[in-house]
Amino acid sequence: MPGVVAAFHELDSTVEAIAALKKSRFTEMTVYSPTPRHELDEVVDAPVSRVRLFTLIGGLAGASFGYWIAIWASKYWPLVVGGKPIASWVPYTIFGFEVMVLVGSLSTVFALFALSRVPRLTMTVGYDPRFSGGHFGIWVDTTPERLKEAADLLRQHGAEEVRHEA
Amino acid sequence: MATTASPYPVSEQRPNIPSAAVRLPAVESYEQVDREIIATLQPTLGWFAALGIAILCLLIGISAWMYQIYSGLGVAGYNPPVMWGVYIITFVFWVGIGHAGTLISAILYLFRAGFRTSIYRMAEAMTVFAVMTAALFPILHLGRPWKFFWLIPYPNWRLIWPQFKSPLVWDVFAILTYFTVSSTFLYIGLIPDIAVLRDREKNPVRKQIYAMLALGWRNSDREWRHFTRAYLFLAALSTPLVLSVHSVVSFDFAMALTPGWHATIFPPYFVAGAIFSGLGMVFTIGIPLRKYFRLQHYITLNDLDAAAKMCLFTSLVVGLAYLTEFQIAWMSGNKYEQEYFWNRLFGQWAWAAWIMLICNMVLPLSLFSQKARRNPAWLFILSIFINIGMWFERFVIVIPSLSHEFEPWQWTSYAPTWVDYAILLGSFGWFFMWFLLFIKQLPVMAIAELKEVLPPKMKHARGHPPHHGGSDPQVAGGEGTGGHAPRTA
Repeated sequence: MPGVVAAFHELDSTVEAIAALKKSRFTEMTVYSPTPRHELDEVVDAPVSRVRLFTLIGGLAGASFGYWIAIWASKYWPLVVGGKPIASWVPYTIFGFEVMVLVGSLSTVFALFALSRVPRLTMTVGYDPRFSGGHFGIWVDTTPERLKEAADLLRQHGAEEVRHEA
Repeated sequence: MATTASPYPVSEQRPNIPSAAVRLPAVESYEQVDREIIATLQPTLGWFAALGIAILCLLIGISAWMYQIYSGLGVAGYNPPVMWGVYIITFVFWVGIGHAGTLISAILYLFRAGFRTSIYRMAEAMTVFAVMTAALFPILHLGRPWKFFWLIPYPNWRLIWPQFKSPLVWDVFAILTYFTVSSTFLYIGLIPDIAVLRDREKNPVRKQIYAMLALGWRNSDREWRHFTRAYLFLAALSTPLVLSVHSVVSFDFAMALTPGWHATIFPPYFVAGAIFSGLGMVFTIGIPLRKYFRLQHYITLNDLDAAAKMCLFTSLVVGLAYLTEFQIAWMSGNKYEQEYFWNRLFGQWAWAAWIMLICNMVLPLSLFSQKARRNPAWLFILSIFINIGMWFERFVIVIPSLSHEFEPWQWTSYAPTWVDYAILLGSFGWFFMWFLLFIKQLPVMAIAELKEVLPPKMKHARGHPPHHGGSDPQVAGGEGTGGHAPRTA
């Protein structure tokens, strides 16, 4: 779908432009900022990230595996010492904990990549290198008929540059 | 991500985020951050010289190791029953160094301590390279180092599994997890900054490499939304991890019945010592970098002051642990324990114990003075003493215990050989080689997080306080900006 990309130098102009676009029912948009800003979070009003779900599942799976591998290996090759338990949960908590942190962290990273849709092979459409520097940006994905309306709105709210991309 | 600064005046900020008051008055814009941090990536003659020295030290260490593999572990100064020496001391030393990096990057992040913003990247890189260095030492200590993978549990044709009740296997899990999580944490934090480098780089080859490493990062709202959450959870997972790793390392000693080792105080004592030694190394590395890269207006005296307070606090905890050990021995009624601690202070190894006590307990008391905390030259000198003192702390834990066990026939001596010294030197070469390569390939400060601290450009000025450009000692740190940073009106 074609779209319009706009670069802003001021944060409040960007916030106002997003609010105006939402009011005019432009729903498909991507906002760029060199650093995360609460002002943008509030106006975009996206749902809370689901990363935490992956962290929880990964952590639980890791803890289970950590305990399991230690208990299973001890029973597979028992070392009977002075009537002490073959599988001893106290020292095995170290494995439960360490593997919980390991798998929990790796599943968090997996969730970050999967939900953010990275790695991304192409980034030529709707992006400008200035967005990692000092500029804020908005990419509006819309039908060809509404491109002009979106561009006008963006200019009206202080966009330094607006260009059409397909 | 980092501390959240808002464009509003300090008085209007939410009171539960004190770090928002952290300001960088000599830094005006996002573009200035990009320009000045990217400028640090230009290689210089001094950098090549430092890298050359590091590689030379590493080669000396590798040569000594090859000689040891050829000749056997006997060349490393082991004299039964002292079968742990410089390698285990240095292993604990380097693991400890890593801890301050995680403290600064993860724990202080959760506490919203703003002063971490400018120093956390170098501390985090230090963690990864310190753990890489530490992990070599148990392998160096093996008679047959090529069989180190026997410690990793995996289905194998030998049908044998590690002994999960052995502290050595606990170490493997703790160190591997620590290395994986801290390097992942470092890389995830680097992605937005690598995207900045990708977008500014002119050299096509380097641009392509940065593009691959940045994974197509675009700074979009979707990416930041998941990134900030993921970063928070990684910090939350790293926090107990950092406490667990040195606790597990302390179990290597505490699980034995040897006098001086068999104590429940070991885990907190080791963790506090680790953070203390790591902060020492942060000063050793950070203060020269701050001067060399002219980053005084990013790492302000306020940041150094705050880090010095943490250093003082951990020194007091470590000092308390030393004294508590003596008290435990005195009150235990155990003559072997009492004999050991008497021997520590006034016996064969008194010189090492007093180096430890003076460097770790006495000299850091100078940090009660604000003047000392805001004096980078003194902080650097003190950090060298702390590094020496913390290495000797581990020496005092390992050697006097093993050379003075229960029976007189076990009382012996120990002296490191040239192989030990060469491998110790090689470990510093290995660590600094990686660190020097890092600082010229990737940003030594977190660009995206520094931008978060700055007030963004606004169409409608919100009345945020004017910049003072270093004239206000409480804000600018009362020190010149090295003639490098523009001073704001």
